[in-house]
Amino acid sequence: MTMTTDVRAAVVARGLSKIYGQGDAAVHALRGIDVSFATGAFTAIMGPSGSGKSTLMHCLAGLDTVSSGHVHIGDADITTLSDKQLTLLRRERIGFVFQAFNLLPTLTALQNIRLPLEIAGRQADQVLMDRVVETVGLRDRLTHKPSQLSGGQQQRVAVARALISKPQVIFADEPTGNLDSRSGAEVLSFLRRSVRELGQTIVMVTHDPLAASYADRVVFLRDGLLVSEVTQPTPQSVHDMLLKLEA
Amino acid sequence: MLRTTLAGLVAHRLRLLLTSLAITLGVGFIAGTFVLTDTIEQGFRQLFTADADKVAVAVTPKDENIPEEVLAKLKTLPGVAGAQGLVRGTAPLLDRSGRAAGSTATSGVSVVAGPLDRTNYVSGHAPAGPGEAVLDENTARTRQFQVGDTITVLDLAEKRRQFSLVGIIDVGVDQSLAFTGAVGFDTATALEMTGAKGYHEVDLAAAAGVSPETLKKAVSEALGQTYTIRTGEELAQRLAAESNLELDYLVLVLLLFGCVAMFVAALVIYNTFNILVAQRTREMALLRCIGATRGQVFRSILLESAIVGLISSALGLLVGLGLGALALNVMGRFDAPVPAGASLALTPRTIVLGLVVGLLVTVVAAVLPARGATRVAPIAALRSQVEEQTFRAGLVRSIVAGLLLAGGLGLTAVAIWVLDGDAGLLTAMGGGAVFFLGVIVIGPILMSPLSAFAGWVPRKVFGVPGRLAVDNSRRNPKRAATTTVALTIGVTLMTLISVITASTRETVVGSLDEQFPVDFMITAQYGREDGTPLLPSEVPATLRALPEAGLVAELRQIDHGGVTVGTLPDGAAFRPEVRSGSLAALGPGAVALSENQAKDLGVRVGDTVPLDTTEAGKVDLKVVAVIADGSFNQALPYTVTLPDFEKYYGTVGPARVYVKAKDPAAADAARRAVESALVAYPTAQLSSAAEVRGEFDEAFDMMFTIFAALLGLAILISLLGIANTLSLSVHERTRESALLRALGLTRPQLRGMLSIEALVLGLVGAMVGVVIGVAFGWAALQTIPNETVFVVPVGQVLLYLVLSALAGMLAAVLPARRAANASIVGSLASS
Repeated sequence: MTMTTDVRAAVVARGLSKIYGQGDAAVHALRGIDVSFATGAFTAIMGPSGSGKSTLMHCLAGLDTVSSGHVHIGDADITTLSDKQLTLLRRERIGFVFQAFNLLPTLTALQNIRLPLEIAGRQADQVLMDRVVETVGLRDRLTHKPSQLSGGQQQRVAVARALISKPQVIFADEPTGNLDSRSGAEVLSFLRRSVRELGQTIVMVTHDPLAASYADRVVFLRDGLLVSEVTQPTPQSVHDMLLKLEA
Repeated sequence: MLRTTLAGLVAHRLRLLLTSLAITLGVGFIAGTFVLTDTIEQGFRQLFTADADKVAVAVTPKDENIPEEVLAKLKTLPGVAGAQGLVRGTAPLLDRSGRAAGSTATSGVSVVAGPLDRTNYVSGHAPAGPGEAVLDENTARTRQFQVGDTITVLDLAEKRRQFSLVGIIDVGVDQSLAFTGAVGFDTATALEMTGAKGYHEVDLAAAAGVSPETLKKAVSEALGQTYTIRTGEELAQRLAAESNLELDYLVLVLLLFGCVAMFVAALVIYNTFNILVAQRTREMALLRCIGATRGQVFRSILLESAIVGLISSALGLLVGLGLGALALNVMGRFDAPVPAGASLALTPRTIVLGLVVGLLVTVVAAVLPARGATRVAPIAALRSQVEEQTFRAGLVRSIVAGLLLAGGLGLTAVAIWVLDGDAGLLTAMGGGAVFFLGVIVIGPILMSPLSAFAGWVPRKVFGVPGRLAVDNSRRNPKRAATTTVALTIGVTLMTLISVITASTRETVVGSLDEQFPVDFMITAQYGREDGTPLLPSEVPATLRALPEAGLVAELRQIDHGGVTVGTLPDGAAFRPEVRSGSLAALGPGAVALSENQAKDLGVRVGDTVPLDTTEAGKVDLKVVAVIADGSFNQALPYTVTLPDFEKYYGTVGPARVYVKAKDPAAADAARRAVESALVAYPTAQLSSAAEVRGEFDEAFDMMFTIFAALLGLAILISLLGIANTLSLSVHERTRESALLRALGLTRPQLRGMLSIEALVLGLVGAMVGVVIGVAFGWAALQTIPNETVFVVPVGQVLLYLVLSALAGMLAAVLPARRAANASIVGSLASS
């Protein structure tokens, strides 16, 4: 496969490897990965269990340290940053959507959406806020606490929260993993719309071919290595590729 | 189930450590109390027993001393191998500056030689002959005398006599000698110096083959009913019983504080087990799924608490030994009569009591949480996320809280406005305790508004972490309330003591000003005679002759016929507040009564009261005025004019002489002049308002320090509780913290968030404590019959608020570090 050194790449990883443990017990989760994610694109990372897809995402997002290699987010090499600098970078440039437990139970939906801005001490862009709230379709639920929202609604709030700070990239880790298919489809369409309409860059880890088919491009991992990719994926093409990899 | 419980204990050992520490400290305090008092008691008993072995029979008088002829008679009694009369009187020791040492005259005692010698020598030897004397250890140290020095002691005629100091003795457990200090002479010199007529005890040694009981019988037959006759053993028992009375009081006071500490520990334990159960909901549910019954779950939690209780109580006993040793050491430093060199006593009673109390408190505190655990449905095992506990203010809770609060206030109101004296004070304290229970019950309801109040500033100042922290502190009001109420107990009692100390101090200082409208007061040394000590009659005239002295006023006073009669000193400053009548009418044949005396006699101005006098027999006096009882300086029951006083009682020396410097700016010069004028009267005690105030201040500070130290333990335990609650909350919110970190909250911000939460908890606990403490401090003061000023030591109270907030943050240090250092990825993955 070819290395895309596109100047418009939002996230670039070079020679990325991650080893857990030492000596005989060492586990090579990532074995030297080169990959880049284009600005304004929706990319899915797929792979069988244990392929290292979650580890890759954690390393790309600066949540986990790398053993060797570099990760650039925009012009910043995040592997050289201190914890404090990393934290500030996450604040300014990265948005997150996790599989579960995305929201603080003490805050209302609106407060949860505004949380990253408040942590960073920034003002909300009112136009963007209106647009995000409109797109999420939760205007009448904004004062509700997470416990009063359905799983799908909670994930939509989480996506809205990720969007509101206009990050360079949003990392989504199995965002539909805990949802029924209808709610999942809602969240995925919403993610795709935010790429199309708001020009957002999204990197999503998933094991579900249907979810991956919402992306512009799917990259495949196996045993810590990037092994393949599919552009303009369909559920069927993703599924076939997975079967081929697991064989 | 046993295996599961044990495995659970091992798995949670770190979390249970803080709980154990709470019990360990509580049990340590109680055990320490018993170790301390048992050690003192055993030390005393050893001393008494040692004494008893030397004495076969002791004869003590019932009223008058034992005369010389009785001693002579005893010496010749068959079966008596030896008899020694013990002398005790006063022999004022002069300090190095030539003034009588202390406000009470030193006791003069005889020190006997031979087999009946019961004296313990610290150094030197017994006095031999009229030129030698010994001193007790404490007096020798404070007055800086050493063996080989020459000491001066006043004899009966107030003549200075020189002695060579040949020994230092330990007066042991004799409370009265420990208080006055003692100079020891040989028997003849002691009789001469003290002017004692006879002996206050005669000790007999038995001849070979005569048992103490036989000898006692023989002595009883010889002496009849006039004297008390005991064997040495009986004497030792009596002395031990006397010293135990004081120990019992000490035990009671210490145990009271021990109970407070245990109660606080119980709250901490209750909270911990509640949280442990909540955290293990899925574990419990899984156990239930695979067939454990409710009973088994219940018992497994109780068993867990029992094991924790037992282990921590055992550790508590060790802590108790340490605390007991520490207390003995401290008491020894403060000259309390503690037997020196006694080995620490850990009696079976202490062990049993410590273990039982610790075990019981732990298990009882765990009963409610264990019951909660049985309500976990098996289905809960299958739920992915543990439901957040929500709290609803139930009607029952509100009613119970309302009843307790109203009951507490009612009791206190009764105490203030209906009862008085000790009953009033005790009722007010009881009302306080009931009210406090009400506060505990209503706590969860108050928690939310109070933390909103306490968190108002942090919320504004500390941005997002501040806001989240304040929200978190209100998140589980029940748990937060139990955590903070433990701190509230300590702060309430500290505030209460502060208010009472400050108010009493202010009252005393106020009445000192009343009592001391002059620069100096001269009184006689106590101890030479019964009743009020009197100064030589020429003292006022001597002082009036001084050019530096302005006003010299004297108070004559005498105790006769069961009443105290005095005169009114000259000068406008000595015009007490008059309730009715007029002091101007106080002329020949007239009397002014104190308010209490008038009430007791049931007389009013214009009535006539009889008075028994020494010189004029029975006289009838016309009441012309009733004087208000001062709050501190009680008015004398009877006040008459000076000429009348001399007519009724003859010319006696003044009880007090008041001196005002002529030039107020030259008070120091006046003092030096008065001091040199008093050189001829070594037992006259010169004091100034500043000195007396200093002594009171010292006494108050000392009392406050002791109470604060005793309460310190309860406060420490409550801080453990805060640390415990926070670390468990941190554990519960692992994923939440990780999410916040992922969203860009820095490590210092996360630590700060937890510190602020702890600060809010500490502040809420302290606020409630301060309010209750001040309110019930006021109530307690109202039950004291004397007029007392109510003072709130604002600085001190504010300090408690600040310290509580800081202490809360201190308790958060470790949990916050743990939360901040957790890896984001690992925490997000954990369930």
